[in-house]
Amino acid sequence: MDWMKFLSPLKLTSSARPELLANEFERFVVGSADLEAEGFNPLKAGIIVFTNHRILWIDENNCRGGFLHLASVIQVYPPKKSLKKMFSTPRINLQICLSSSGTPCPYSQAASTSSMLIHIALRNSTSSVDTTFSKLTEMLETKAWHVNAESHEHSRRGLPSQDESSSLPAVQDLAGPSRIRPAMAGVSGILRKEQEQWEETDKNLQDAFVDLKALMSKAKEMVALAEKMRAKLMTAPTTQAGSMDDEDATSRQEMQDWMLSVGIASPVTKETAGALYHQQLSRQLADFVVVPLQKAGGMLALVDVYCLFNRARGTELISPEDLLRACTLWEKIDVPVILRKFDSGVMIIQSKSQSDDEIFSRIRSLLTRTEEPSFVGIGATEVARALGMAPALAKEQLLAAEQKGNLCRDDGPDGLRFYLNFFKDIGGEVC
Amino acid sequence: MRRRPGVAGLQSEAVLRGQYKALGENVARIRMDLMKDQLSTFRNQLEDFARKHKNDIKKNPVFRAQFHSMCATCGVDPLASNKGFWAELLGIGDFYYELGVQIVDICLATRSHNGGLIDLGELCSLLSKKRRALREPISEDDCRRAISKLEILGSGFEVFTIGKKKMVRSVPTELNKDHNHILEIAQARGYVTIEDVENELNWPSGRAVDSLELLLKEGLAMVDDGHSDGKRRYWFPCIGSMSSDAIDAESEYNL
Repeated sequence: MDWMKFLSPLKLTSSARPELLANEFERFVVGSADLEAEGFNPLKAGIIVFTNHRILWIDENNCRGGFLHLASVIQVYPPKKSLKKMFSTPRINLQICLSSSGTPCPYSQAASTSSMLIHIALRNSTSSVDTTFSKLTEMLETKAWHVNAESHEHSRRGLPSQDESSSLPAVQDLAGPSRIRPAMAGVSGILRKEQEQWEETDKNLQDAFVDLKALMSKAKEMVALAEKMRAKLMTAPTTQAGSMDDEDATSRQEMQDWMLSVGIASPVTKETAGALYHQQLSRQLADFVVVPLQKAGGMLALVDVYCLFNRARGTELISPEDLLRACTLWEKIDVPVILRKFDSGVMIIQSKSQSDDEIFSRIRSLLTRTEEPSFVGIGATEVARALGMAPALAKEQLLAAEQKGNLCRDDGPDGLRFYLNFFKDIGGEVC
Repeated sequence: MRRRPGVAGLQSEAVLRGQYKALGENVARIRMDLMKDQLSTFRNQLEDFARKHKNDIKKNPVFRAQFHSMCATCGVDPLASNKGFWAELLGIGDFYYELGVQIVDICLATRSHNGGLIDLGELCSLLSKKRRALREPISEDDCRRAISKLEILGSGFEVFTIGKKKMVRSVPTELNKDHNHILEIAQARGYVTIEDVENELNWPSGRAVDSLELLLKEGLAMVDDGHSDGKRRYWFPCIGSMSSDAIDAESEYNL
C-alpha cells in the first residue's frame, strides 16, 4: 500500500514547514526517520514533527508530507532493549486504530476495530529514543486534541480562530449577572451592574496573578480580558477626544505598535528541534520574511529582519549568529528568498523575484526607451529614480551588470555612466 | 415623563437632559479611569511574570503562546532580562541580545520621521522608557555594547559622530530612500544646498548633511564652494537638463 494514501495529506508552506492547526503546537522534531509497517514500502529519511495533536511526516526534498492524528494511536511501545538490538536502529512502535476501509480513525474503546503496527525508525543517533518515547507518551496522556474538539463544537464546526473560541466565555461572564437580577433597572441599576463587573474583573486579575500555575490555568480568560480591554481603549477616546493627554496618546501608540508584532505561535527552538535546529529555523525564517519583504518592497536589511523575527518569536530570542547561520542555509534549500552581501559589507535579504537578472532587464528597458540609447547612457541617479531604489543600490546594480558584461562604463565629465554592451550581442551573432 | 406646557416645562426638560448628560459623561470617565487602572495592574503583573518566570514560561509551548498574546495585546514587552553579573562582566547572556532587539525596534518605529538616524542619547532614553518595569538605567555604554553585538549581521548599523553628537544609523546606504528625496529636490535646478534640503523636507540638520556627504562619497554629487553667497552647493551632474548637458559635452569633444 502507499503511505501517502494511508496518511492524511499535510499542508506545507513554500519552504516545507508544516502548517499547524489553531491551538496546535510543535513539541519536538526528529530528523532522518523512517516510517515502516507491514505491507508498506518504508518511507525513508524524512523529518518527523511531533505536535500536541498530530504526528507529521515531511519529505523536504519533494516538499510533501502526511500526518497521523494522535487520536488514532491506541498504544505506544518503547524500543526493545536487548543485546541483539544494541546495534540495530532503535524503533518506536505505534499501534494505530483502523477503520473498516483501512485508514486511520480516532480510537474509542467501545468500537472494536482492527489495528496495525507502525514503526518509527530513528536513524539519527543524536536524537535520543528514550526522550522521544517519553515525550510521545506524555502527549498521548494530555490529549490536547480533546480540549480543542470541545471548543470546535462551541463555536461551529471547521477551524475556529483562536480569538473566537477564547472570547466566548468572557462574553457569557458579562451577560451573567445582568440576567440574574432583572429588578435592577434605571440609572442606579446600570451603575450597580457596572460596579459589579469591575469588582469581578479585579478579582479575576488578582486570582490569576497569584503565581504562575494560577496564571496558566486562567490563561485563556486573561487573553480574552486583555483583548476586551484593548478593544475598549482603542474605541473609547474618540468619544472624548478633548480629554486625551499625552500619556494616553503614547500608551495607545504603544499598543498599536505592538499589535503588529504578534506572530509565530510555534517558534523553532533548540529544545524542540535539537539537531535540526538551524535547518528548521532557516525554513521558518523563510516563511516569516515573505510578508515583511513585500511591505518593504522586496528588500530588507538583515538587522531589521533580526528585530522583526525575534519580536514575532516573543521570549524565544535567537542570537545574531543563529540568524546568520539560518540565512546562509537558504542556499541549500529551495526557498523564495536569498541573502545578499554588498561590497560595502551590508547584508540584506531579498526575494528571488528581485534578482540581478530581473533588475537588469528593467535597466535594459530604460536604456532602450530613450531615443538615443547609445549616446546618453544611464547613470545611477536615473536608475534610482526610475526603479524607486536608493542611489547607492542602483550603482551597485549597475556595477553588477557591468561585471557580467551586460553594460559598459564611461567615466566622463557627467560622472559614471553606463551603456549597453553591444559586443555581447554582436559576439553572439558571429558565433 | 409627562411633558409640562409652557416655558417652565421646556426649561426643566433642558435641565433634566443636561443632568443626564453630565451623569453619562461622569460614568464614562469613571469607566475609562477604572479600566486604565486595571490595565496598568495587568501590565505590571505581566511584566513581573515575564521577568521572574522566564524559564518556566519557555518550557510550556501552549502557555508561552498565550502569554505572548497577552503581552502583545496589553503592550508589554516580554523581553525583560536583568543585566546580571555575567552580562556586566563578560557581555554574555540574553541581556544584550534583548537590548539589541529593542534598539532596532525603536529605530524601526522612528524611521519614518528621522530617516534612520537617531541621537544616541535619545535612543537611550526611549529604551529606558520601554524597559520602565525594570527600573534599571540603560547607559550609553550598554547601547553601544548591544549594537556591537549586531555587527555580525553586516555593516550599516553603526554609531558614528556628527559634530559633537553621537548618532546611530540604522539604514544601510543601499536601502536609504533619503537620497531619492534629495534627488527629487535637485531636479528643479540641478543642485541643492543644505538649507534647501532642510527647509523642503523638514529634516534636522544632521540628516541632510549625512545624506549629502554620502552622495558625495558615492560620486553622485559634486561640491561647488565658489558661489558668491558662500553657501556650498551640491551639484548632480546627470540630472536636470540632461539633453543640454549632453550637447555641451558633445561640443566640448568637437572642439
